[in-house]
Amino acid sequence: MKRIEFKNSSAQKRYDGFMKRLERLSSVLPKEDQKDVMMEYNSHIFESLQNSNDITEEEKLSKILNGLGEPDVFIKPIIADYKLGQATKSFNPVHILKALILNMASSVSYIIFFILYISLFAFVWTIVQKILHPDEVGLFVGENSFVFGVNSSENAHEVLGGWYIPVVLVVMGVLYVLITLLLRLKRKWNKKK
Amino acid sequence: MAEFKIDNTKSQMRKGILEYCILGTLKRKKEAYPSDIIHEMKDAKLIVVEGTLYPLLTRLKNGGLLAYQWEESTSGPPRKYYRLTELGERTLIELDSTWQELVKSVNQASKKTID
Repeated sequence: MKRIEFKNSSAQKRYDGFMKRLERLSSVLPKEDQKDVMMEYNSHIFESLQNSNDITEEEKLSKILNGLGEPDVFIKPIIADYKLGQATKSFNPVHILKALILNMASSVSYIIFFILYISLFAFVWTIVQKILHPDEVGLFVGENSFVFGVNSSENAHEVLGGWYIPVVLVVMGVLYVLITLLLRLKRKWNKKK
Repeated sequence: MAEFKIDNTKSQMRKGILEYCILGTLKRKKEAYPSDIIHEMKDAKLIVVEGTLYPLLTRLKNGGLLAYQWEESTSGPPRKYYRLTELGERTLIELDSTWQELVKSVNQASKKTID
């Protein structure tokens, strides 16, 4: 990328600092996209310098950078969208968590997705309870009751036994995949919208 | 308190039509680089913070409404020129008619309120 050269050393320092910050913030993007972002803002600064009526380079650059706003704010939507795409493709829980946190400010629906993922941990809790209290946790079937988890009815009997933990793990996996596919659908729908 | 709410509403209204205006500008100009679009939007008082335009352009590009190409510039770094895609053209036609309907509805509603 063709860097802009300033005659004034303070302006050069500020420009270099801005570009370095942008480079660091956009480093989560694929190399090609990162290069694109860097080139785009570099071009913006250059074009704005040519059209500025201010006298000194420092004043010109200061107005341009103030006009752009804080890099971590203006680059956030680009990174948030990329992270969401990456998360719904990889199914990686760490990617999903990061993507949801980045996107939560833009739509309530991402908060709902966040809650859905977090609620999957309720199943983990029942697994722990199954280990600690094997007779109280399981799939309980009674005459008028059907409980998957912690039982409170005395007339129901447990049917899964030792299979409870593997079944819960499978249910968790299926729900995880379904929620992630829904998240992918939501992102596609957003783009069409 | 009331003034704050008005400013917020104004800003939301501007944001809502910004994408439509970007598509309209690109239709008129055939192709344009971001600084050009920013000037147009600032002249029309549609944007205040210039940095907000770039994520919006990326969003429209990712949605398939815009395409771009880098073109070498004799005076400095290459310029990124955006243009409408076929989908962008179709979307703009749809938004044009939505806008006309909206203007008509708002005028009608305001007239009723005044009457």
